[in-house]
Amino acid sequence: MIYELIIQNKEILKVPYGFMICLICAIIFFRTDRLFKISSHQGIRYFRNAFLFFSLAFLIRYVMGSPLLLPFAHENFFFIIKGALEFFFIMAGFFLLYSLIWKNIETPGSHFISSLFNPIILLFYLMTFLILAVDYIWQTYLLMFLSQIIVFVIASAISFNNYLNSPGGFPKFYFLAMILSLTTWILNAIAALFEWNQILIINISIINIIIFLLFLFGVIKFTKGV
Amino acid sequence: MAKKRERLEVIKDILITIRDTRKIKPTRLLYASNLSPQMFKEYINELLGKSFIKLEVDDKEKKTFSLTKKGQEFLQEYKVIENFVENFGL
Repeated sequence: MIYELIIQNKEILKVPYGFMICLICAIIFFRTDRLFKISSHQGIRYFRNAFLFFSLAFLIRYVMGSPLLLPFAHENFFFIIKGALEFFFIMAGFFLLYSLIWKNIETPGSHFISSLFNPIILLFYLMTFLILAVDYIWQTYLLMFLSQIIVFVIASAISFNNYLNSPGGFPKFYFLAMILSLTTWILNAIAALFEWNQILIINISIINIIIFLLFLFGVIKFTKGV
Repeated sequence: MAKKRERLEVIKDILITIRDTRKIKPTRLLYASNLSPQMFKEYINELLGKSFIKLEVDDKEKKTFSLTKKGQEFLQEYKVIENFVENFGL
């Protein structure tokens, strides 16, 4: 009954849903701004980049990609939307993973001026464009799904290890968020195989809200008074 | 065996040493930091790059490090930063 109602109004619901996720990402980005400015911590920097890119991806997917805007669409509209959407989602995943592993790669002396353009991030851009090119040639989202499943398998393993080292508290929720993210990417891949099953897509959207609320909860909790 | 100091903790220790002495010579800071010369150089470059400390050279070519306003702010908010970084595994 509820699913039917959502499916009937899905085009209208996409817009507030997209705005909601964008808003959560924007809050996370701005709440961590002062923390980053005080600390200049590279991990916080990459973490913020991830949410900036997630925000842009959801903005494109659900607001600009909504058929409500179709009358204003250019003929290459869907080509650009699909490319930009994949680009921001893949890069967001890479940034989130890199925020967890950067300290094993960068030395204290390697002070990169930009977190958006440095040799390691350029490698991520290169990988992303390769994925985009192959997906475009094959006319699928296959490599995007595969890359993000790999990213979140690694991120889940790292966050599980962090949780073991500091049981209880927020690392438990962070690990949960990573597992849920992995689940959504797997479900997305399954949904694509079944002609974008609507019930599955609704469930993915609900899980997405939970994931971003978990991150928001942690950010608000640990930036109090900053 | 003593636990390896986390990166953030090393930075905090260096900044506290500088704050407590107000001005400190590089050699004294190296001894106080308990780091190898190579690691010490890397951390100092990072702290200078982040503008947490500044290097002053007097008329007699003597070098000293002192804390900047940004370095003081970092120490004031250290607990919040440490909590955030630890809980998010950053």
